[in-house]
Order: sequence, then structure tokens, then C-alpha cells
Amino acid sequence: MKAALRPGDAAFANVEKVNAELFTLTYGAVVRQLLTDHEDVDDVNKQLDSMGYNIGIRLIDEFLAKSNSAKCADFRETADVIAKVGFKMFLGVSPTVANWSPDGKECSLLMDDNPLVDFVELPDTCQGLSYCSILCGVLRGALEMISMRTEVRIVKDMLKGDDVYEIRMRLIETVPEELPYKDDE
Amino acid sequence: MPPGSREIAESCLDLLNIELVRSYSEQLKGRPELAGRRVEAIGFQVGQQLVERATKERPRFADHLEVIKFICKDLWSDVFKKQVDNLKTNHRGTFVLQDTRFRWLTRLSSDVPPPGTPVSPSDTPAARASAEAGAYLYFPCGLIRGALTNLGIPCTVSAEVNQLPACSFTIKIKP
Amino acid sequence: MIVCVGVVGQANNPLFIQSYTEGDDALKFHHVVHCALDVIEEKATPKKGGTGYNETYLGLLYPTEDYKVYGYVSNTRVKFIMVSDDLDAKEADVRGFFKRFHAAYVDAALNPFHVPGKRLASPTFAARVNGIVNGFGKSTA
Repeated sequence: MKAALRPGDAAFANVEKVNAELFTLTYGAVVRQLLTDHEDVDDVNKQLDSMGYNIGIRLIDEFLAKSNSAKCADFRETADVIAKVGFKMFLGVSPTVANWSPDGKECSLLMDDNPLVDFVELPDTCQGLSYCSILCGVLRGALEMISMRTEVRIVKDMLKGDDVYEIRMRLIETVPEELPYKDDE
Repeated sequence: MPPGSREIAESCLDLLNIELVRSYSEQLKGRPELAGRRVEAIGFQVGQQLVERATKERPRFADHLEVIKFICKDLWSDVFKKQVDNLKTNHRGTFVLQDTRFRWLTRLSSDVPPPGTPVSPSDTPAARASAEAGAYLYFPCGLIRGALTNLGIPCTVSAEVNQLPACSFTIKIKP
Repeated sequence: MIVCVGVVGQANNPLFIQSYTEGDDALKFHHVVHCALDVIEEKATPKKGGTGYNETYLGLLYPTEDYKVYGYVSNTRVKFIMVSDDLDAKEADVRGFFKRFHAAYVDAALNPFHVPGKRLASPTFAARVNGIVNGFGKSTA
């Protein structure tokens, strides 16, 4: 007999699944279309991040409904749940949480297996592209819905020759829940 | 995990599709057709790529009808998790594929914001729902066109929402 | 030994040609590949009835004094050509070679940055093909 399922595995077992290929190819085609639409590769990075943000603010509902996660006490616990349950439940992979700053407000998610990049090889002309920046937006959007304002960026990228994907998350502030945070633009 | 065998949550695909439509209709506000064309182009690339892999192990198709049947059965099952319910043709290069429960429309929940839908004169709730759903069909139209084009059948593909979540796709092969 | 391999696109445009001989044979092999396309065109025209007509593997396209030229065509009308100086190559090996060659192409075509019909510039693809070429005839798989 196997040991009891870990929370992330249980959540992943609970959701409807599809072959990742369709998703991976769709994301790839989106990135390529954006590169055609925008002259500046930085604009593409921003657009991907912004798409991720909009996905994140929706995705959190499904996460809360299906993950059975208890409310997190602090950012440390939140980061742990994101890695072990969130990533597992949606993408089937589990990054490790590492590189905490001494004040406990900044950490990294590290992963070497990433379904977003299957088949992807970055051409020399796209070295400024942060291919996975949608993930940053998703994290930022989802965390904002649970009252945490964050800054998320990719600091290591295997498509650019690094040995791992490293997503750096920094907690800017926790917004009290009775005063929902409004983004004034 | 080796590419091609892994699984992810289906909602990732739903959320990406919804956001794709939303983001293009926002970027190209007031120009829904242009937004639709961009989304269609994305679907086209995906369709082209999907059939490279999906036809890898099979003998070459003998004619157009064999290709269309492959789309209705194999590709539809891979992408939309069921087969097409009904296939009609006028035997002059037009094919109509009917799906009574199109997966991507059943997956769209009612709380999806209207993706910059133009106000239509026939503004009944049903008409509005169909118009909103229509914005989500550019991608599958592009996907089907990309698949067929790569299999040697240049064509146009259009979609029509009947009674949600039923819809039909019309393929017109270019002479 | 395999002396040359090629991938040719839908519009008969070369996507990838690589030779494995010492000399400067580029021109010669371009010619070989070009001639192969005519034979492929003829062999690959779909025919109804009969057996084996619609295989992707087209077999021996034509022999020359020094080489044998084999062909394969995908459902997406991408042509694969292999030139060998081994005049007694086993059919199973040749079939196995094309299966792997085709699989490598498909993975390269799934890269979102690959533009269909454009040259396959991916170093990963080139390296993978080299590996397949070097392994030719060495395994029975």
C-alpha cells in the first residue's frame, strides 16, 4: 500500500485533466502571436504577466474550492501551499521553496520540470523574452485575492541556459481583509 | 516527465482561452473582427502542430473524406474529449460538423465577462449568449483550419452557435 | 553508412540537408535530393485499393552506382530523404531510421518558434539527427 496522498496529489487527482500538449502548444502560439503584435520584447513580457494576473484572480476561486487548504497563517505557509498544492493541482509539478530572505518576506520557487516549456527552444533573436512570465502574473493575481500584494519575477530560466527555473516572490504588504485592496490605476 | 505524456488540470486550458479572448478584445477595443483574426491565427498554429504529432503513426490519407473523418473522430476526441455528433456534406467541398455539447462551451461558466461583445440589435438574452460564445469559437475555427491546411486541404472554417452548448462548424474547401 | 539526410517541405523547399562525408559534396547531394523529390512525387500520389500504397515509408527511391536513396513522406507532406552507401542495408533498419528521423522532426515542429516551411535551424534537432544517423544499423530496434 502507498502512503496517504499528499495534499497536492489529492487536489490534482480531484480535478478534470487534459493532455498537457494542447495547453503547452496554445501557450506557445500565444507567445509567438504577441511577438508578432509587439515590436518590443519587454512589452510581450508585460503582456504575458498581465494575462497571468487576470488568470490568477480567477484561478484562486477554483483553488480555494478544490484544494481543501486551510487558511495560511503567514507568507511562509502560503509559499509552501503554492508550491506543494497550487502548482501540483494545476500543472502537475511541485517546485521547492528556497532562498528565504532573513525577514521572511522573500523566497524563491525552484523547479526543473515545467510543462510550459516542453518543445520550446528560444531563438537567438528572443533572448530578452521571459517566456514563462505568465506564471508571475498568475501568482501575483491569485495572492492579491487573498490579501497579499506581491512582486513576482523570474530570475533563472532554463530556456536561457540556467540549471533551474527560479521564480522570486516578494511580499510587499498584507492588506487587511475588511478593507479590500483596490487597484487605482 | 517526457513531453507528450503529461497531464495538467483542464481549467488551465479554460482559463488561458478565456483570457486570450478577453485580452485581445480589450487590446483591440471596437474592432472585434481584428481581435477574432488574431485569436484565429493562434488556433491555426496550434492546429498545424497538433496534426504533426497526431498523424505521426498512421498511414497516409487517401482522400479528403478520410481527412475530414480523422478530424471528426481522432482530433476531436484529443482536443474536445468527444467525437463530432453529425457530419454533413454537399459533396461539393462543404462539410458541416455538428457537436451537440461542444466541450469548450460547456466549460464556459456563466460568469465569464462578455469579451467586448458589440451590442447586437437582437439583444435577447439568448442572442447575447450566442454572441458571447461566438468569441470563443475563433480559436477552434483556427485550430481546425490549421489542421486541415497542414494535411493538404486549404479551406475556410466558420462556426455557428445554435442552442448552447451546441454548435456547428462549416468547412469550405478551397477549390 | 549514411552519407546524407534531408527534410523537404510541402512546397519542395529544403528544410534541412546534412551530409556526412569528408569532401565538399553539398552540391552533389542537393542534386540527389532534388532527383529524389520527383520519385517521391510519383510514389506518394495516393491510390485507392491495393496494399501498402499509402504507407509513409516509400522505400528505395532509386539506386546510383555508389548510393541508395530512400524516401518517406508524412501526412503533412513533409519529405524525408536518406542516402546510404551501404548497398545491402536491411529494410527494417531503414524503416526504423525514418521513424526516428520523423519523430525528431515532429518534436522540432512543436517548438512554437519554428515557422512551418522555414529551415530547421534548431541545434537540438541537428544534434538529435546526428545521433540517429550514427546509430543507423547498429541496433535491431
